[in-house]
Amino acid sequence: MRDDPIALVLDDLLKLDDILACMVARRNMISVMPSGDGFKPEVNQIWDIIRRAMDDVFTVIGQYSGAGLGEMELRLQEYEVLFYVFPDTENALVAIVPALANKGLLEVEMENARREILKIMEMPEKEKVVATA
Amino acid sequence: MIEPKFEAAVGMSRKWDAREAGREVAETAIKNLSRPPDFFLLFSTIHYEKHGGFQEFLNGVWDVLPEGTPLIGGTVAGFINPQGCYTRGATAMAASYPNMDVAIGYGKNTKRNPKKAARQCADMIKTGLKNSNYEHKFILDIMSSGLVPQLPGMGRTVIIRSKTISKLSPKLFDFYGKIMQKGVCRQDELLKEFIKLLPDYSLIHGGATDDISQLRNYQFFNENVSTNSICALAMNIDVPIRVKTTQGLTETNRNFVISSLDHSRRVIKSIDGKPAIPRLFEIMHLKMEDLNEHIFNKIFFLPIGWKSEDGKLIATVVGIFLGDYFYVMFQVDNYNATLLNLSGRGLLNSINENIVVTSNTQLGIFSSCGSRLLALGNHVYDVQKRLKEYFNDKPFLLYYVAGEGSYSQEHGLEYGNYTFNSAIFG
Repeated sequence: MRDDPIALVLDDLLKLDDILACMVARRNMISVMPSGDGFKPEVNQIWDIIRRAMDDVFTVIGQYSGAGLGEMELRLQEYEVLFYVFPDTENALVAIVPALANKGLLEVEMENARREILKIMEMPEKEKVVATA
Repeated sequence: MIEPKFEAAVGMSRKWDAREAGREVAETAIKNLSRPPDFFLLFSTIHYEKHGGFQEFLNGVWDVLPEGTPLIGGTVAGFINPQGCYTRGATAMAASYPNMDVAIGYGKNTKRNPKKAARQCADMIKTGLKNSNYEHKFILDIMSSGLVPQLPGMGRTVIIRSKTISKLSPKLFDFYGKIMQKGVCRQDELLKEFIKLLPDYSLIHGGATDDISQLRNYQFFNENVSTNSICALAMNIDVPIRVKTTQGLTETNRNFVISSLDHSRRVIKSIDGKPAIPRLFEIMHLKMEDLNEHIFNKIFFLPIGWKSEDGKLIATVVGIFLGDYFYVMFQVDNYNATLLNLSGRGLLNSINENIVVTSNTQLGIFSSCGSRLLALGNHVYDVQKRLKEYFNDKPFLLYYVAGEGSYSQEHGLEYGNYTFNSAIFG
């Protein structure tokens, strides 16, 4: 069975207590989700409004990614949504965290995830697929 | 005659399982040494507590590490090594060098009796190194940092609004500190005693922490996991070790007088003759309505500080709010205090101001305040970039702690929050 290596990166990120949801997304589309059961239940009640807000943020990302836009974040009720843009693309690594989370620590692991995903994206196609037993 | 070579290497694991992570961090640290290690420094984020536990983590390390290798370490908020920056995982530094004698020390009950813990630890070191004659002497220590206390009927909290309870709370926190070993860590008291006992040693110090929630932390000493303790690695060596502390904070002109303290000198009761918290908020240009669960996001970039007896700036976070009073981490030595300014640029510049690397440099070890990590976030990669530029292919390891400092005969004792402390070998 072959696993999407980007999904494995998202699985790792989702194991952190304060990461309630994470995905690779662009406007109107979630490209990669974590491979397990999906997001943590806390986000269910707010997911619809976050999804709509994300699309608006991605409009800005689409316009300014080429100009060096690196990160964006928005605060919605008791949550924050972090966008880590993949350079010169309209895609971003997106995470939903509680508003009171120690964000500085999470940012480091978001950056690590972005770097890993970028490396995967830059790999030749045949090396991307991870074979599992 | 062939000069003996100083060997050092940094290992790491990003595995989730505690035992597997322990094995991997040890394997990757010692695989590049041509001789068995003479010491092993081990740092881990708090995550293994829920993924097997720290005893399993240590067991994994000892599955690989040669028996009898002196090992100390503890939990940290994050770390930087040549591979990157991380707030989850484990890292280690192993070193081997024939012209070095090593001893490790341990002291317990640091919150109950910090001076006694310092003496226990120092005695072990003195015994271990009594026959050593190498010229340069250095200690790296890690001790338990502060823990947010859990008060009856209130749970774990850092804001107590009741002025009645706040009047009782300094004594309550005393009780918690001495009996339950929660509350302030008393690092400054321990450090002062420690350097009195070992004045010939330069030292870098750090307070073990979790993810800066200050709910729990652990220390590692050989095969043992402990809490509320200090563990230290001491060495006599023929390689000079330069120790230095910088901060990158600037003083503002918002000065004030600490006009009343409690008996511990850590609870500030009044400022400029007025109740402490309202007056502090005036100085910080905050409103009393800002005193809610989001307050730390605001005051985080507004540390306060005062000068020690020998003119060193001691910066501290504001810890716990008690009615009109507030707690700081360190005993107030000077009633004249000021608001300090913290900026990302200042934090990064303090690294360049600190580090001197020569052609003889063998390795760098750094203890740095976890508040700097919170402030910089993913810009902590700017720190790693600078360290890589300085050290090239030489190993280095930076770990983020809560409360830190250094001592040398050249610079004296420096401690506080927001500091960057270096020990550069060679």
